[in-house]
Amino acid sequence: MSNDSWSIVTLAFFLRYPNPYAAHVVSCDVISREQTSSGSLVTTRLILKKGAMPRWFPKGIVSRAESWVIEESEVDPFGKTVRCVTKNLDHVKVMQVEESVSYTQLPEGRTLQHTEARVISRFGWGLTKRIENHGLSKFKANLQRSREGVSLILSLLRQSRLQPMTLGIENSHQHPVFPPNTNDDDAAPQKPNNTAWSRLKSWFQPPTPTQS
Amino acid sequence: MSQSLLPECTPLKKEYDACFNSWFEGYLEPAVAAASSQEARAAYSKKKAEEFQAKCGKVWESYKACVQQAVKAKGLDKLLEQAREENPLVDPPPPSTLHK
Repeated sequence: MSNDSWSIVTLAFFLRYPNPYAAHVVSCDVISREQTSSGSLVTTRLILKKGAMPRWFPKGIVSRAESWVIEESEVDPFGKTVRCVTKNLDHVKVMQVEESVSYTQLPEGRTLQHTEARVISRFGWGLTKRIENHGLSKFKANLQRSREGVSLILSLLRQSRLQPMTLGIENSHQHPVFPPNTNDDDAAPQKPNNTAWSRLKSWFQPPTPTQS
Repeated sequence: MSQSLLPECTPLKKEYDACFNSWFEGYLEPAVAAASSQEARAAYSKKKAEEFQAKCGKVWESYKACVQQAVKAKGLDKLLEQAREENPLVDPPPPSTLHK
């Protein structure tokens, strides 16, 4: 449960890499992204994570302790929900972890987070149960870290929105509601440096402008 | 922003991410009226899609091409295909696409 609004929590969730609690994330790419006919945004990301195998795991079976993870998400800005499923693409016989996260807006403007995971091993050799238990306890331990990562980003976003220069933005969110087919969102002139996101970005990479 | 799976794609990825994120921030907060009816939603989505296309369409195409090439080169496309077949997020497909 978060006291923050759904939209800022969702933004933080998508911005969560990199963060100090996710040093194991090597790369993260969007491989497809489209708006559905109902107006939701469906995204597939491909993430490379590194990790360590437990000491009791037989040597030589998993050559590198890295795993490709696929993340499928659907954002519905009208229903104010995000659903996201991640699972590993390789080493699936050793262990398949499927994690589902959802963020839903509650009536009082708070946001409900729900997370669950399924861990399945088809490894055999008497290790199946042990691998599954290991995966599950890892999941529980990591859940805390991943939430801390998201809330760190969240607090950065919150701070950047609180800065005095955001006052213009607050207004643009609250401008009167026009009939839907007028360009109400375009009423605010484009000021690329005025969004919480762009200020957060400069926070991450202060000195150099992104010119290469 | 984190790295791309292929270092050569990282500059494009960063440019795309920056563009997408500022678009996304607005996309997440449609005016209340935009959720009032099917038509209003469709109008909002269409407007947002056009806005994205105008602002980020070009860099998205370049970034996507770069990553797709890298995905193929690393042999990840087959893994992805398998995962897609059991995509838990996809709603039941309309009858016409059930048998392809």
